[in-house]
Amino acid sequence: MFQSVDEVTRRLAEQNYLCDNKAATAIYLACAMQKPILVEGPAGAGKTELGKVLAGSLRLELIRLQCYEGLDETKALYEWEYAKQLLYTQILKDKVSEVLAGARSLRQAVDQIAKEDEVFFSEKFLLPRPLLRAILAPKPTVLLIDEVDKSDTEFEAFLLEVLSDFQVSVPELGTLQARHIPFVVLTSNNSREMSDALKRRCLHLHLDFPDARRELEIVRLKVPGAGEKLAQEAVRFLQRLRKLDLKKKPSVSETLDWVRALTLLHIQGLDDQLVNETLVTLVKYEEDIRRAEDEIKQYLVERKAPHLSSPDNDKDFLH
Amino acid sequence: MESRIVEFANLLRCNGIRVSVSEGMDALRALTLLGIEDAALFRDALRTTLVKRSVDHQHFEKLFDLFFLGLAPSTRALEATWLEEMNLNPSEFQKLLDLIQDLLDHWDEEISPLTRALLSGDTGRVERIFYEADRAEGGNLNRKGMSGLIYSSLAARLGMDRVRQDLEAFKSAAAQAGIDAEILERISRYVDWRLQGVSQLLKDFIQRESQKNEPLKNRERPERLLEKSFVTYTEDDIHKMQEAVIRLARRFKNLLSLRRKRAKRGRFDVKETLRRNLQYGGVPFQIRLEQKRREKPQIVVLCDISDSVLNASRFMLHFVYSVQELYNKVRSFIFVSDIGEVTRVFEENDLRLAVDKALKGDIIDVFVHSNFGRAFELFYQKHLSVVTPKTTVIVMGDGRNNYHRPNDWILREIRGKAKQLIWLNPESRLTWGYGDSEMPRYIPHCSRVEECRNIRQLYAVMDRITP
Repeated sequence: MFQSVDEVTRRLAEQNYLCDNKAATAIYLACAMQKPILVEGPAGAGKTELGKVLAGSLRLELIRLQCYEGLDETKALYEWEYAKQLLYTQILKDKVSEVLAGARSLRQAVDQIAKEDEVFFSEKFLLPRPLLRAILAPKPTVLLIDEVDKSDTEFEAFLLEVLSDFQVSVPELGTLQARHIPFVVLTSNNSREMSDALKRRCLHLHLDFPDARRELEIVRLKVPGAGEKLAQEAVRFLQRLRKLDLKKKPSVSETLDWVRALTLLHIQGLDDQLVNETLVTLVKYEEDIRRAEDEIKQYLVERKAPHLSSPDNDKDFLH
Repeated sequence: MESRIVEFANLLRCNGIRVSVSEGMDALRALTLLGIEDAALFRDALRTTLVKRSVDHQHFEKLFDLFFLGLAPSTRALEATWLEEMNLNPSEFQKLLDLIQDLLDHWDEEISPLTRALLSGDTGRVERIFYEADRAEGGNLNRKGMSGLIYSSLAARLGMDRVRQDLEAFKSAAAQAGIDAEILERISRYVDWRLQGVSQLLKDFIQRESQKNEPLKNRERPERLLEKSFVTYTEDDIHKMQEAVIRLARRFKNLLSLRRKRAKRGRFDVKETLRRNLQYGGVPFQIRLEQKRREKPQIVVLCDISDSVLNASRFMLHFVYSVQELYNKVRSFIFVSDIGEVTRVFEENDLRLAVDKALKGDIIDVFVHSNFGRAFELFYQKHLSVVTPKTTVIVMGDGRNNYHRPNDWILREIRGKAKQLIWLNPESRLTWGYGDSEMPRYIPHCSRVEECRNIRQLYAVMDRITP
């Protein structure tokens, strides 16, 4: 577990994940208070990645549950392996007749079978899905529940039970308590509002697009082959692009893809002809691509005449 | 400390941020873990435990500054200007304060706690004294009284006159203590400055406290905007409403997909069950029921875009196209006197652009008087084929025909061909039928007629239409 907020930042940096103080504080608190953490933000901001690096930095197993509409208990919690049960019954047919040999009436036969029924409803035939696996794990784990806003309200309901008491009730087996409380990370794109009850149980963290300085650090870290000039220009351009009214604003992962693409093509600066071809890695909608092209042209114009550019463009980027 | 956090949580609640009791307790636990020395950590801890919606973050920041930073910014500003005036640097200032503290310790006179706090530059203590005085006055600041009255009553309780006397006494005591003349001069000016400053500090304090208790006005707007009548929208409102419509549309879609899932489950389906359970040797582990297929409706929208109905039509189109996944086919028409189809406009353009384009006047002439009769006639001649027994026809208009021919028989025809005909009127029901309103003629032919004056009503109507 983490001892301090600084340790969080340090260990995540070792995993090549740069986060700001807000995020580090939230993670530290979630860990220390053993509460789940709900990470919200635009797509590509690094929410899922956060879950993964947390598991890496704490050296714990990562159990991942991807949510979608229609996700139900059997796929998220547990399922009985019917086929296995049936198979065993078939194989043990002879043994069963042996056990029932002494029975003289139907009732006796049923009673005798009933005495043995734990055999068929035991943990052996229980197929644990991610949530139950996290609870029954012999060592602490990191449970990453991805895109919880894509699930429906029924899923939220039994997720609530799991998250508040960290126990699962299986009718045949009774209540299974968690041996170690897992570190739960929920991610959401905010396509729908989560219920208040769920939010109440979690700590909240909003991961937004990084500022210019941080984005440059991330680019330097994740795309080591990129030239310094290219990285700086790209980040500056992206900060401008995000201010426009786009259908989908480019996120950090798209920035990295773009810089990688430019590096692969040995492009040194944004004034290269080929840059426009690579814009598809950055923005994914037709009209956004057009706007991005216009913005590049404008950016290059302003760059050549720095006294024309407005002051806040430079303020974004502190050396 | 706990009471401060509880108060802060209460303040958040007054401003629309829902904070539950357990979240407050989480905040306290977090503070025990992190300590309260580091200001940034303190803020982050409170933010992560108390604020669970991203939209509330901005308000949280404002309220946090208002509540926790208190008088600090204003006093710091005052100090900075004074130091500049006196040409002192911070270390000299500290020496001055130390000297004053020394004098105070050796001085036998009884002075009020406020004077002592002022002299030692302990603004935290000053603020606390203000608070206690306020509480003793019965928390007057919670009521919106005249700030002048509040000021004088607080000043009286704090004993401002006494403070003045004490400060003068201190100055003379300092003079008698035999200090260097220049430093004495500084002390004297410091005391004067404090004296002048205290009334300003008190005024600032009152202002902050009353601000705290006034809920931030912007909060109420999103909810109230939904109830605001279409006709009264400003440019700014239209922008805000587009966001609201998108959110409503999302909620609408979720609601409907849930409804569809819970659609009436039919009877036991033997064939499906057997098929599903072949892997288990025919033993029915999984039961399959007959699913009633819910069909998505087809929608045809006729929107009046004359001035009076313009905004209503705008949001109608916006909403319908935001949720068009819920419908089988959406075809939309606009009319004033002429009628024109705008379906292509919505297919080819981004939603917001399309709405603007459709309403601009490139497609039909908008500078004429409303003529429902003519518009219906043109629809009948050119577009009646879009209406099928599966179609729901929605007309958005105020029914004000400018005394032209009503042609209400066309509505009867449409109703005959369509599944249902719905009329949405942005005017108040009380005005239907007065003046040139042809509503009484049109109403009998419609399956349903609804008033649709604001976004909330629009939402309710769409909810009823869409199964």
